[in-house]
Amino acid sequence: MTGLVIALVIIMLLGIGGAIGWLFLSKEHNEARNLSLDGVDFSRLKDGTYIGEYEGGMYKWRANKAKVVISSGKVIDIELLSSSDPGAKNTDQIALYDRVIDAQSLEVDAISGATLTSKAYLKAVESALEQAKK
Amino acid sequence: MNQTAPAQSIIYGMGTVISSKVFGEQAKEALKAAEEEVVRLEGLLSRFLPESEISRINNSAGICYEKISSETYEVLLRADEYSKCCPGCFDVTVAPLIDLWRNARGTAKPPDKSVIKRILSQVDYTNLIINPCEKAVYLKSTGQFLDLGGIGKGFAADLILKVFKKYEVSSAFTNFGGNVAAIGTKPDGSPWRIGIQHPRNENSIIGIVAIVNQSVVTSGDYQQYFIGNNNKRYHHILNPSTGYPSESGLVSATIIADSSVAADALSTILFIAGMNKGIELLKSFPETEAILIDKDLQVYITQGLKECFQTVERVKINILDPII
Repeated sequence: MTGLVIALVIIMLLGIGGAIGWLFLSKEHNEARNLSLDGVDFSRLKDGTYIGEYEGGMYKWRANKAKVVISSGKVIDIELLSSSDPGAKNTDQIALYDRVIDAQSLEVDAISGATLTSKAYLKAVESALEQAKK
Repeated sequence: MNQTAPAQSIIYGMGTVISSKVFGEQAKEALKAAEEEVVRLEGLLSRFLPESEISRINNSAGICYEKISSETYEVLLRADEYSKCCPGCFDVTVAPLIDLWRNARGTAKPPDKSVIKRILSQVDYTNLIINPCEKAVYLKSTGQFLDLGGIGKGFAADLILKVFKKYEVSSAFTNFGGNVAAIGTKPDGSPWRIGIQHPRNENSIIGIVAIVNQSVVTSGDYQQYFIGNNNKRYHHILNPSTGYPSESGLVSATIIADSSVAADALSTILFIAGMNKGIELLKSFPETEAILIDKDLQVYITQGLKECFQTVERVKINILDPII
């Protein structure tokens, strides 16, 4: 009987511990999920090498440090310098960082050789007409 | 420099869409003046306006000289220069051939060989006689006529920038139907970033070139074309020596040069000349860079673009040997 009570107490304690743990975990997850990226104006970047740091949320689980190289006004390289996640390797981040480089690289002032019928032009004309409406 | 919001405009003129962005205190006035300049130039250079100077020359073909304005004279002189230095790749009298193929587009069938041969005999720039003293020109044969397709937009873009400069603009660009020409840098000092149209994917670009005080013009086989029964692509850039759409192995040729008239003419010329002959021709034009794309969508750039060209989506860049 005593054994059963002890077992129950242990199970209860584990359960409470798990629930409390989960509570903290989900708080942290939520925080990470709701992390807002404010957007960068890629047209206004000064050349240089910059180190960026994120403190990693309430438990510092996602702390990491990245190096960003800007040349001729554009991001040409991003490297993960350190991470509190022992599983993170620089290679894991490459795909993600490449997407950042690609996204900014698509920002252009004008397109050479675009056809007269190309949708881009039609869009531009459309937006001009929209403005003309006001 | 005034760093306030730029003035922008999109207008339709010279058969194309012209969008411009201008920074400066007098940006709005500059744009307005540029719009008037487009109308004025179209009035001189369009062969589709019966009162234009080009129409006048065409109507007097085989009959008499026509006195022309300094602008028309200048553009014809430049066209003549390019015809001479790149024989077989550029001809300002190619208009009858253009019309023949334009009609063919409607039926999606290439014109008859015999018809092409007959029309081709009318294409000959040496029949355009220019009298520099009188600023008058004469087309020798009846049935010949001029078209400024491969040079007019670039010429006009240069004049638009000239108008901007009159209004003390030191940062601007105009995109003259795909011919891009820029003054200076962006107000923050960074170069203008000009996308190069992807030759096979209408909604994307294949690369980006950074320019300062330069013009970028691309000629490609992806505009105004039809696919024939044989699955062949009949596009709008005609080889004036064969009478057929150019088949040089290139699907796109971009020129980056100090003037837009040079970039316009040379992009057409290189597209027709092809990779090897084109690079050879470039030797006569210092400070001129090229981006050439072949049928397999391989991208080749000249040495001078190494630092200012990037492709998107990991397209490989091949750097051409130095031009000596």
